[in-house]
Amino acid sequence: MTRATASIRKPSPGFGLGLRPVHYPDFLDAPQRVDWLEIISDNYLVPGGKPLAMLDAVLERYPVAMHGVSLSIGSTDGLDRQYLADLKQLARCAQPLWISDHLCWTGVAGRNAHDLLPLPYSEEALRLVVRHVGEVQDTLGQRILLENVSSYLEYRSSDMSEWAFLRRVAEEADCLLLLDVNNIYVSSINHGYDAQEFLRHLPRERVQQIHLAGHSDHGDYIVDTHDHPVAEPVWALYREACLLFGEVAAMIERDDHIPDLAELVMELDRARAIAAEVLQSCEAAA
Amino acid sequence: MNAPTLAALQTAFHDHLLDRASTIADAVVEGGRADTAHRLHIYHHAYRARLQDNLRDAFEKTWAYLGDDAFDAAALAFVEAHPPTHRNLRWHGAEFPQALAARFPDDPDIAELAGIDWQLRRAFDGPNADPLAPEALGAADWERAGFRFVPTLFLAPLHTNSAAIWHALDQDQPPPAAAPLPAATWLLIWRKAWQPHFRSIDAEEYAALAQLLAGGTFARLCAALGARLGDEAGAAQAGAWLGRWLQDGLIADLAPGAG
Repeated sequence: MTRATASIRKPSPGFGLGLRPVHYPDFLDAPQRVDWLEIISDNYLVPGGKPLAMLDAVLERYPVAMHGVSLSIGSTDGLDRQYLADLKQLARCAQPLWISDHLCWTGVAGRNAHDLLPLPYSEEALRLVVRHVGEVQDTLGQRILLENVSSYLEYRSSDMSEWAFLRRVAEEADCLLLLDVNNIYVSSINHGYDAQEFLRHLPRERVQQIHLAGHSDHGDYIVDTHDHPVAEPVWALYREACLLFGEVAAMIERDDHIPDLAELVMELDRARAIAAEVLQSCEAAA
Repeated sequence: MNAPTLAALQTAFHDHLLDRASTIADAVVEGGRADTAHRLHIYHHAYRARLQDNLRDAFEKTWAYLGDDAFDAAALAFVEAHPPTHRNLRWHGAEFPQALAARFPDDPDIAELAGIDWQLRRAFDGPNADPLAPEALGAADWERAGFRFVPTLFLAPLHTNSAAIWHALDQDQPPPAAAPLPAATWLLIWRKAWQPHFRSIDAEEYAALAQLLAGGTFARLCAALGARLGDEAGAAQAGAWLGRWLQDGLIADLAPGAG
């Protein structure tokens, strides 16, 4: 079992950033201290024009992971076949490192909220998600990664913890995990749980990627805004994740108040330094 | 109380987002640092904020023209009346120009400006097509030749000076006062390389393009112009238009016309 599962996740390609249009010239004009890039798949599901031309140029220079926001894997509406076909077509062109989306639902009854809405952690939701992941993986011909979302409420109908739900989805659907360390921190504050306990219950061999991002503290609650640098408690949690999961591809997401690329590259250096230090200490201990 | 099914829970949650009667509060755990109403409000607010931001982004010049308050109020009214149904957020806003026409019936320039914003956005990531090189015309069979235009080409009637308003806003200049146009005018939008373009054209150029878009041959266009303007002037006009269309990158290829 250990031998078989050890190879589930692919080797880490290193440290990446979310590709944003404002940084196209930086990535195309000169090499950057960035190992790989993550694209928002939905922004490239368009007929043509500059986005796809830029993507082609980026693909000549960097490995790319595809990260979507509209799969709505937990919606009782079922999967959108056209969306899946479009994703598959994009993947054919981009040959991504992997394809990810969120463990959430984004709409129901034909209406779309364009938000990453939380699921109840129930057997009913688990069965639905596992079935949908199977269909998606059969269509795309590869394991997908599911990301834990930040949340601002919990449902009475949940009958397990978020980490137990995440673990069971990953193992029962045979998919991989995109661990958003900031989201774990945000939800742990909003719901009053121990973020380290969350990490400790996840299946190490299925953690393929880590997201780092900033948030906004509103006092009573924290919102996952992606408009600030990564906060200190999130760096501390990232260090913990490195200890638990070893060498995992990590990247920084910034979606608002996007700074110069150099600033993000420096922030990414901090992730490199933390991971290297943890790895060294583990090797020394071994 | 029995827990709602997942479908019922999702419907109740979405009803809450849409400001409809909803039982979602009964399904949420109470307690913690924020109360249930506050927790639900975070999602209620985020839904509107995200869709309003998307409209600001898609209708940038209209936003600048109306100002924050008037634009945001119009955007919020639109969001409430038009819940998104498309999987991709880029399509939310297609009906915003019509909504602005209804909201500002005495200011048709506003809806026209929004129409320009929207169609430029569509042209930006519309289908690709290489423009026809002028040298390729040498091989044309002019008895039968028509044209295939680039797929991003879009035509619409203009009734106000909205195009001049758009240009002024684009240059960070004060826009001219809105005014009706003295003569029938059409808006022509297309993309050349990666850049969307537009210009206004008169009724004659519009009629010529419409005829060719419907599959007419260039020979037939020349004949019609010749009958009206005289052979020499008709040929000169057709040649001038063709030169401009080629220069603009409007024509993708030669195509056999239908007459």
